Amino acid sequence: MFKHKLTVMLGILVLFSMVLSGCAAAVPAAQPAAPAAEGEASWWKTASQSASCEGVTIRGISESTPPSNFARETLAPAFQAETGITVELETTSWDEMYNKAINDMQAGTGIYDFVYIEQDIIYQYLANNYLVNLTQLLADNPNLASPDFDFAKFTSFIDNFKDADGNIYGVPMEAFVKIYLYRLDLFNDPAIQEAFAAEYGYDLAPATTHQQYQDNATFFTQYGADNGLELWGTTVQGNTGHASSFYEFFESIAPTFGVYNWGINSENWKATVENGGGMNSDAAKEALAFWVGLLQYAPPEATQSTWDEVAASFAAGRAAQGWVYGENAAWIATDPDRSKVVGNVGVALPPVSEGVMEAAADGSGYIGYYDGGSFGLPVSSKNQQCTLLWLEYIGQESVQADWAVAGSRIVMESTYDDPKVQEVDAKTDNYYTLMKSEGPLFRGAPPFPFHSALREVVQPFIWKALSGELTAADALDQAAAAADAELVNLGYGQ
Amino acid sequence: MRSNRMGWALLAPTLAILAVVGFLPFLYVLYVGLFDWNPFSNQLGMQWAAVNNYRRLVFDGAFLDSLWRTGLFAFVSVSLELSLGFLLAQTLVKNFPGRTVFRTLYVLPLVMAPIAVGATWRLLTIPGFGPVPYFLDKWFGIDYRLGTFADQAFLTVVLMDVWHWTPFVTLTLLAGLTAMPKEPLEQAQVDGANRWQVFRYLTIPMMMPVLLTVIFIRLMDALRVVDEVFMLTSGGPGTATQFIGIHIYRAVVPKTDYGYGSAMSLLVLYFTIVLCWLLFIALAQVGKQRE
Repeated sequence: MFKHKLTVMLGILVLFSMVLSGCAAAVPAAQPAAPAAEGEASWWKTASQSASCEGVTIRGISESTPPSNFARETLAPAFQAETGITVELETTSWDEMYNKAINDMQAGTGIYDFVYIEQDIIYQYLANNYLVNLTQLLADNPNLASPDFDFAKFTSFIDNFKDADGNIYGVPMEAFVKIYLYRLDLFNDPAIQEAFAAEYGYDLAPATTHQQYQDNATFFTQYGADNGLELWGTTVQGNTGHASSFYEFFESIAPTFGVYNWGINSENWKATVENGGGMNSDAAKEALAFWVGLLQYAPPEATQSTWDEVAASFAAGRAAQGWVYGENAAWIATDPDRSKVVGNVGVALPPVSEGVMEAAADGSGYIGYYDGGSFGLPVSSKNQQCTLLWLEYIGQESVQADWAVAGSRIVMESTYDDPKVQEVDAKTDNYYTLMKSEGPLFRGAPPFPFHSALREVVQPFIWKALSGELTAADALDQAAAAADAELVNLGYGQ
Repeated sequence: MRSNRMGWALLAPTLAILAVVGFLPFLYVLYVGLFDWNPFSNQLGMQWAAVNNYRRLVFDGAFLDSLWRTGLFAFVSVSLELSLGFLLAQTLVKNFPGRTVFRTLYVLPLVMAPIAVGATWRLLTIPGFGPVPYFLDKWFGIDYRLGTFADQAFLTVVLMDVWHWTPFVTLTLLAGLTAMPKEPLEQAQVDGANRWQVFRYLTIPMMMPVLLTVIFIRLMDALRVVDEVFMLTSGGPGTATQFIGIHIYRAVVPKTDYGYGSAMSLLVLYFTIVLCWLLFIALAQVGKQRE
């Protein structure tokens, strides 16, 4: 009897698993990388053999983003075919990526042979000598220096991964700007334009000022409510328990009000106004009040949204405009399987306060975040030569265009001119062109060696402002005081 | 003498493993807690701090808040689990149609990993997509947003814990109820005791060892809750659900404040041991009274 029952149960289980397998989405086969010439293929093989790398497995970790997924699904298999080196790239959440990478490098375990280095964390890593000097490693191993790899081919973004002597510690794998996206179909609708003009007395357009942004947000939220649409006026990356909200405020919103470098005075490492900082300056408080005020015009998921959910909300057609990380621009604008707004995505520079655009143009300020990262080689890696080959492989010009199309990222000047990129550029309202021409107006995070330690201290106050527990002014006053104290704790600004 | 030696020999592998995975890490944490050690500070390496990290704890409002919040969470969730668990155990001890099916479905949450529980509740409660905010708004006009309203977040975290662990409490109490001798209850009923009196003066005292054991286990679990809450709210909004486990995680992992994080861990361990000890004493007292 028991045997019979067991057989029936096992049968049901097998049937169930077969149904589940059948329901699973088909995994697209990895696209081959740009076909390499015969000579190139033999060079990779020879180099791999000369370093005894054939059959070796190298492991890396990165955030699960379109560019990293392309590296895992497309570049890694192609590299394995060329060299016989297996690449296991773990793509995980942003938090987990840092936790695992830092723990590994701090303990010197050597689990990872390459790690994602975001532009803003490199200064922490360099201060702790976590990374191998790639310039030196290439010089020491001339037999492993690919003829197709040249640091000089990268955009100036590579400067973020250099030390004071110009040595390079990371091969750029993604770079993009956090851009202002808006819905072309809504902004170009004559009836909507007419209604907007009647209400506000000026023409509907992508915002160039904060007041205009707020007017747009108010108008479209009301428009959504009046027409029974799941549509709100703006996205807000306002997760009240995640670092993403800290970043949206300090790296995207505050700079548009003229508050740079998180409001920290880099000369004396102070954040409070009374000590020469700007974290609780009037401009910073105005910026936070503006941003928190946008929550009433944002989809209800805003206070639980990180960068991923913001992109998803925009792609789902739930917001008329918003600050969105550029790595998502291509798929939002072109992938009908994932986006409801294909063909309707407009791209523009974010709104700014008076004088900010001029400051960005002359280099004394910036209007938003130029994000990106590289793959670096930890000192603790046990396969440094094999990993060097992988880093050179992903740094070839020939793999860049497909990568740019898949992940809206560009790290080489030549990629902009590739026909594939230009084709997608036309579909994304010239996002790539804007990144090329206006990229210098944006800037990466300040070179703080204490980046994550300080962020952890400040972010609870931003969360409390977002949840209404504190006013914008109180939140920044308390945040700045806490930042001053923590910087002293960390040995800065005594 | 020989049996003693044999006993120790049999225990030796377990003790050795315990020493490696339990005692040595404890000593290491004790050691690290005496230093200022943040790899991203201006002073690289470990700096001797004596008991300064422990002194900092006393003045650390965020730490004390998270400690208080954890206590409140443990008290509320364990109380609810006990009440519901006892009620359900008393129901399940009786025979009724569909009892087996109900019992099977009811214990399903118990087999789920906490991280999966957190993920499931996150999917259920995310505004705009989850069914919970949708129906709360549609039926009751409640604006339910975990990322915005602190009280909603705290309540939801408590409910999630109750949903996850009440089946455990029920099953344990059910075992106790089933093993309880029936004669004293029947005798009391014959003597004219009503149901409340039977429950108050017989069932509860007879179930006390089981109850205390359940409280003991659930309290320890509730005090160290991390994964399911982190998955659902990440400790937010603000710090509304930042319990001590999450607080320590943030200090040690993203903030890399190893020295201070170690001191916090030890203090919490101390509190937990004291609590265990008090419960153990209570349990022993009950045992004595029964004898």
